[in-house]
Amino acid sequence: MNDAVVPTHAPEPTVSSLYRDHHSWLESWLRRRLGNAWDAADLSQDTFLRVLASAQPIEQMQEPRAYLVTVGKRLLVNFHQRRSLEQAYLNALASLPQACVPSPEQRWLLLETLHALDDLLEGLPVQVRRAFLWSQLEGLGYREIAARLNVCERTVKRYMAQAYEHCLLVNL
Amino acid sequence: MNRGVARAAAQWLALLESGAATERDHAALQRWRDSHPQHEQTWQRAQALRQRFSDLPQALAMASLDRPQPGRRAVLKRALGIAALLPTAWLLSRQLPIQTWRADLHTATGERTRMALADGASVQLNTATAVDVDPAQRRITLVEGELALNVPAATAMSVQTRYGELTVSQAEVCVRQLDAGCLVSVLKGSVRVRDLDGRTATLQGGQQAPLKSSGLGAWVAFDALQLGWRDGVLTAQNQALGDFLRELARYRPGVLRWDPRLEQLRVTGSFRLDDTDRILDLLASSLGLHVQARTRYWVTLS
Repeated sequence: MNDAVVPTHAPEPTVSSLYRDHHSWLESWLRRRLGNAWDAADLSQDTFLRVLASAQPIEQMQEPRAYLVTVGKRLLVNFHQRRSLEQAYLNALASLPQACVPSPEQRWLLLETLHALDDLLEGLPVQVRRAFLWSQLEGLGYREIAARLNVCERTVKRYMAQAYEHCLLVNL
Repeated sequence: MNRGVARAAAQWLALLESGAATERDHAALQRWRDSHPQHEQTWQRAQALRQRFSDLPQALAMASLDRPQPGRRAVLKRALGIAALLPTAWLLSRQLPIQTWRADLHTATGERTRMALADGASVQLNTATAVDVDPAQRRITLVEGELALNVPAATAMSVQTRYGELTVSQAEVCVRQLDAGCLVSVLKGSVRVRDLDGRTATLQGGQQAPLKSSGLGAWVAFDALQLGWRDGVLTAQNQALGDFLRELARYRPGVLRWDPRLEQLRVTGSFRLDDTDRILDLLASSLGLHVQARTRYWVTLS
């Protein structure tokens, strides 16, 4: 502990005081955004776990609530991202002919893989992501992708390189 | 992971998949892989990545991973969505908002205009837009709608919005007023943004970010085609029909409605904004839709 100024009347913030003082506040903040208590409770726990695991020492946090909200917002975006993937996945499953629907175990494994790949592609521009998916999943050639995106083939090649580089750097 | 190695591997992969790689390219790739263990390791990882994708059932994976993107863009989409769903009374009130009459320059729904300013600068107004121009202060206030400002000279001009101020010099920027903030897209140069709390940040060409009462949000890269209105063109690249129609509705007075089942149909193409009836006809014939126009101001697609 360095000689940071800690007012003598306030106890030094610790893991337990951070949690005690702010967790119900954070949970209600999240509940307002999510509209239900269960997801809010989960996300609030996740937020605290992230904060505890982060490099920022708790005793140096100037405004713990602002910090919690920053982390919470990131988790919210991620939560919505996962939800929308699950929704799209369920819709796609529902539209498959009965014979093609995978077993429950396969369905679960597949969803996990899709989540992982979705996280991997996160942050790529939409066009680049599309080009990459068309190439990898549908096996489309650059010419077809170029036509679909209304760009030239060189651009598609650049998109592909960008997507590969992104994935290789993320996928550690 | 070394960025340079990842980039090199990515370039090789992009070349191989183009189908244009020659014998010499393959030999050069082999030399690259052999020249350092890290190269080979990265190459193997890339192959594992490709394998992961090719193992997936195509239709399920495509529908899930290529869904309309949520996240920050969803905020914008929601704002647009609400605007398109609100009933006629709201549309009417929007036609002639009171501030519009105090503005120096304004465009009606479907109208676009351009005005030259001092020092070679120019401003373009999109549909249903109102601005105040203060030449002495070199300031433009965006009251409503969307503008594009080009300032080639070093002397700065500012754009005042409800959510903060932009300083533009040797740059080109597009600002669109939305319900809960505005969207700032820098086309060229760099633009300084100052939010309501006085915090400043700089956006570079190709960056787009929302500016709200809470401040400037994270930027994303954007495609200049999104801003084709400056050339009188509306461009869609595999866009969901719902999103496309919400955008198109901005340029049409009256009500444009569509069957919710059409929402996810895909649209690709460039359309002249001069004649939005023609755009609807083109959509109808290419997507097999039925256009029912009770009047020019009440059109339903099904």
